[in-house]
Amino acid sequence: MAAQGRIVWVSGPAVRADGMSEAKMYETVTVGDSKLVGEVIRLTGDVAFIQVYESTSGLKPGEPVVGTGNPLSVLLGPGIIGQLYDGIQRPLRALSEASGSFIGRGITTTPVDMTKKYHFVPSVSNGDEVAAGNVIGVVQETDLIEHSIMVPPDHKGGKIANIVSEGDYDLETVLATTEGEGGNVELKMYHRWPVRKPRPYKNRYDPTVPLLTGQRVIDTFFPIAKGGTGSIPGAFGTGKTVTLHQIAKWADSQVVVYIGCGERGNEMTEVLVEFPHLKDPRSGKPLMDRTVLVANTSNMPVAAREASIYTGVTIAEYYRDMGKDVVLVADSTSRWAEALREMSGRLEEMPAEEGYPSYLASRLAEFYERAGRVRAAGSPDRDGSVTLIGAVSPSGGDFTEPVTTHTMRFIKTFWALDAKLAYSRHYPSINWMNSYSGYLADIAKWWGENINEDWLSLRSEVYGVLQREDTLKEIVRLLGPEALPDEEKLILEVARMVKIGLLQQNSFDDVDTYCSPEKQYKLMKLLVDFYKKGQQAIKEGTPLADIRAMSSITSLLKARMDIKDDEMPKLDQLEADMQEEFKSITGVKVSN
Amino acid sequence: MTAEGGVQYSKIAEIKGPLVIVDDVENAAFDELVEVETKEGERRLGKVLEVGNGKAIVQVFEGTTGLSIAATNAKFVGKVMEMPVSREVLGRVFDGLGRPKDGLPDPIADRFIDINGEPMNPEQREYPKDFIQTGVSVIDGMITLVRGQKLPIFSGSGMSHNLLAAQIARQASVIGTQDDFAVVFAAIGVQYNEAEYFRRSLEESGALKRSVLFLNTADDPAIERIITPRVALTVAEYLAFELGMHVLVILTDMTNYAEALREISAAREEVPGRKGYPGYLYTDLSTIYERAGKLNGKKGSVTQVPILSMPSDDITHPIPDLTGYITEGQIVLGRDLFRQGVYPPVNILMSLSRLMKDGIGEGSTRADHGEISNQVYDAYSRAQEVRALAGIVGKAGLTEIDLKYMDVGDVFENEFLSQATDENRTIEETLGILWKIVSKLPKNEITKIKDKYVEQYYKEE
Amino acid sequence: MDERHPLASNSLEVTIDKILKNTENDVLSNIKTALDDSQQNLDDSVPKLEAEYDKILSDGKKEAEKIEKQIMGSADIEARNKQLMALEDAVDKVFSKALDQIANADRSGDYSNLIKTMIEEATQILGTSEITVTTNAKDKDVVQSTLSQFPGAEMSPDTIDCLGGIVVKSKDGAMTFDNTIDARIERLKPLIRKEIASKFGVGE
Repeated sequence: MAAQGRIVWVSGPAVRADGMSEAKMYETVTVGDSKLVGEVIRLTGDVAFIQVYESTSGLKPGEPVVGTGNPLSVLLGPGIIGQLYDGIQRPLRALSEASGSFIGRGITTTPVDMTKKYHFVPSVSNGDEVAAGNVIGVVQETDLIEHSIMVPPDHKGGKIANIVSEGDYDLETVLATTEGEGGNVELKMYHRWPVRKPRPYKNRYDPTVPLLTGQRVIDTFFPIAKGGTGSIPGAFGTGKTVTLHQIAKWADSQVVVYIGCGERGNEMTEVLVEFPHLKDPRSGKPLMDRTVLVANTSNMPVAAREASIYTGVTIAEYYRDMGKDVVLVADSTSRWAEALREMSGRLEEMPAEEGYPSYLASRLAEFYERAGRVRAAGSPDRDGSVTLIGAVSPSGGDFTEPVTTHTMRFIKTFWALDAKLAYSRHYPSINWMNSYSGYLADIAKWWGENINEDWLSLRSEVYGVLQREDTLKEIVRLLGPEALPDEEKLILEVARMVKIGLLQQNSFDDVDTYCSPEKQYKLMKLLVDFYKKGQQAIKEGTPLADIRAMSSITSLLKARMDIKDDEMPKLDQLEADMQEEFKSITGVKVSN
Repeated sequence: MTAEGGVQYSKIAEIKGPLVIVDDVENAAFDELVEVETKEGERRLGKVLEVGNGKAIVQVFEGTTGLSIAATNAKFVGKVMEMPVSREVLGRVFDGLGRPKDGLPDPIADRFIDINGEPMNPEQREYPKDFIQTGVSVIDGMITLVRGQKLPIFSGSGMSHNLLAAQIARQASVIGTQDDFAVVFAAIGVQYNEAEYFRRSLEESGALKRSVLFLNTADDPAIERIITPRVALTVAEYLAFELGMHVLVILTDMTNYAEALREISAAREEVPGRKGYPGYLYTDLSTIYERAGKLNGKKGSVTQVPILSMPSDDITHPIPDLTGYITEGQIVLGRDLFRQGVYPPVNILMSLSRLMKDGIGEGSTRADHGEISNQVYDAYSRAQEVRALAGIVGKAGLTEIDLKYMDVGDVFENEFLSQATDENRTIEETLGILWKIVSKLPKNEITKIKDKYVEQYYKEE
Repeated sequence: MDERHPLASNSLEVTIDKILKNTENDVLSNIKTALDDSQQNLDDSVPKLEAEYDKILSDGKKEAEKIEKQIMGSADIEARNKQLMALEDAVDKVFSKALDQIANADRSGDYSNLIKTMIEEATQILGTSEITVTTNAKDKDVVQSTLSQFPGAEMSPDTIDCLGGIVVKSKDGAMTFDNTIDARIERLKPLIRKEIASKFGVGE
């Protein structure tokens, strides 16, 4: 029996209704005469506290509130990929068909086109025993996505009956029924799942495979693993969004879920305009064919912003259960936390730090806990992963504020964006001294086996140069560069080269925007070689000025833009030229 | 509009700060417009912030000074606040609530529009990419503005932000087009002479007839400032998306807006966020800034240049901070440059235009634009480091290349950044000066520009 | 100043004479150089002057253009504003004529039905039928007779100044609903103005 109450109080997105004793926590309800979507977030006596996902302007006490009996859920089935959803999985395209350029209220639509036919190939037969999570067949969702149709995770199991033969079916077609203890259950191409409940899996693995993003400062210096967690905090203007877009574009995952949570409208538009034209570097297909967007921009209702994170991660888990690697990017978790704070304030809860609710930390922990590399439930065996990357927008760029500090407890890779670097146009402005990766040791094996076994030692070497530079910079600041001996000046020079030639990356340059692991390795190796040869030359008495004047330096620094991934021999040539030049400058010295 | 509504309540439970709490209220809606009537029959406007359990909390825009519990009536009008719009609003001057201030009658409305607007559907937005030539080198060359962008000026008290905003408003054009344009100017708690400077500047350029002015000056009611940007943007959206005009909206000063918001929040005894500003300041500001943009299938655009003065020139203060997270970049004015007498005193290292990359390059400005500007950013940043170093070790401690960077810094500030308030430079001139700056450096320092452009434009002196 | 010694003065003269003789040639050549220089300067400054002159001219031209723009812009606006005022005048005239008609309209038949609807509307909106109704002197009788259909309603002894219609108050005095014709017109005025203006061919 659905709850039927009346509004007694309205304040912004928060509404109280009485007569709601039948309502359940986190049940979705329709609010008011214009049937706005809301969710029950607290029950006291027969009064329900409701957060409303649409603008409440004009809502009056006395208007009706009706329960739906269901928790806030997403529809999971083919047709999700390529969509742009709002925070509660309403397709924005469908909303624009209903209300034009601006978002109207009280519009109901289905998340996917229920009448679209997909070619279903069954993989079970009548009489087969199936359990929750079992794959009963596949459809081709996009050129890139083979979509497994799975028995819903809350299914009790049973025997397949009446399975349809291979053919084209729409989403509402009953593909099979199962006969079991709980009675007969119909299986369709889709099912629903409550967003606040993690989808079950069989077991979890340690993340040991790197998520390759084509971004050198990430892959080479502060890598993240598939199934791992990462956070990217930064003041405004530090290039957070550009970096996240780069990850969404180039990460070697099969599915990308991009959540624009309380951010700019034009950023979502940019993805929508750009992704269909960009090609996945591995398959050559449009990136949109593997991407799902969830957009609840800053000016859209704040409660739906809170929900958008859960909507996104539930979709990510669904594709994970098919055995796919999924990357979820949430920009920005700070705006999500602010939505929590606003609702908490309206509930008149006791605030903790900076007005955030005391459960902020546990909510963040629950969210990041939904990352992981897992063996999916049911058969056949499928291994998939959800990698969670959350942006943090610390107020005033201050990393000691609550959202940043709590997030740091639950993530393993930390890409600290630095306003100073951004001001000097060093992009991505990931600060190499403040960032860290907890996956370095775990994924070094992969690099050793797939690229080169000395990867980790070279990385330590390059990182060592950067660390030395950091200390030397202090001396330079006090005494000027001329106070240093040539060996140390060389370190400054090499550090400069590492910054320009390796750490910096121009995401708007056609070549530089993505860098293959092979090229990353080779560039790093060239820089280490340069450093070693330079040290040797100085030891033998070659003046630093001669080294600085080498023409191969400019070529080396421009190699990231000038040499494409498939032109690796050019880098070999560069290496040879560099060695020749070293020979000639040290040779001149000998002939003197 | 119906004849319904208009119930007047006379049981006032409490008056505090800008709020009036009305008792025994039936039939009031959240956000509803309220007319508060004083004993003397003066009518003030307000709106419902919270309603329920027989009470309504009403925020009075024109302040509660002079209101009494006994002799105040509150009339609930039965609709949210609306702005009458038509083409005839052009050339008009309104007060901060959108009422005529020029002695002329109310505009004959083509439509009445809810001043809160509705969020643009991101799926229906058109990505902004039309280069606006402002004729100001530092903006066109380094912090390019495009149609539909929101690009604020972060300033400090007394600096030349108004000169700059007025120059942009006078000179802004899109090369090779004769599209209909309009300027919407909202003065939010600024001094009368600042608003007057702007009006005169528009008048002198003959643009007044294509402008709409909303004036809430420093001596006008503070709470009214919550409404001023909203009525201005409602008009801007109408001109842009219904009449197809390209509208430049200047909002000055958004700091006063945020302070009005803080005042209301304090009166409601809400849990404050940073520096006493409400926790929803970000969301609230976004409902203003996000009203810039372009829409698929519509001809016009809304471009916003909000101005805000950073308290104590502090960019980490919540107002510039949260603004920066919403807007598509920022133009930051520097106190040092201002003191040196540089106009416009733009600190380019802290400034940024996020939409620049899509507005420049071949077909709009020039193919080398992106790379040359990157190189100059890099060079100027080096120049600043070298200057700092020279301050410690003296010029003698600098290397030859360091000295060249010092030179770059000087040329940048004296020839590129500095310009007269009526000097309108073409993009070609602007790019020419950028190359002059880069040509001060030896070729091997140029790491961000493709060789072909270096060959074409580099001119060693 | 003290008197100079004649001798001293004399010797000074001699000295000056000497120096003058010695330096005559130098001085002459110096003068010539100076002359040449100043001639050169003059020659140089001609283009400068011309440039200056041009600048003054172009500045003046700019200024003139500015003023022209300004005048043209202002004239445009002024003309438009006059038009707006004229229109408003016309609208006002139409309006007051209409109000006159309402004020003097016949109060039989339909009017008492209108009053009945107005009271019904008011009780519904106020949420109570315990009301006091006020009207103008002219309509008092019509209203009084309608009140018999509303048990909780009573007539106020006071009258108000209005065109017609009623003001309804809850008996506790907390709520008032102004349902006079004046108030209704006020609410609808923007729409009526638009209607009238469009008859003048404005605002379509």
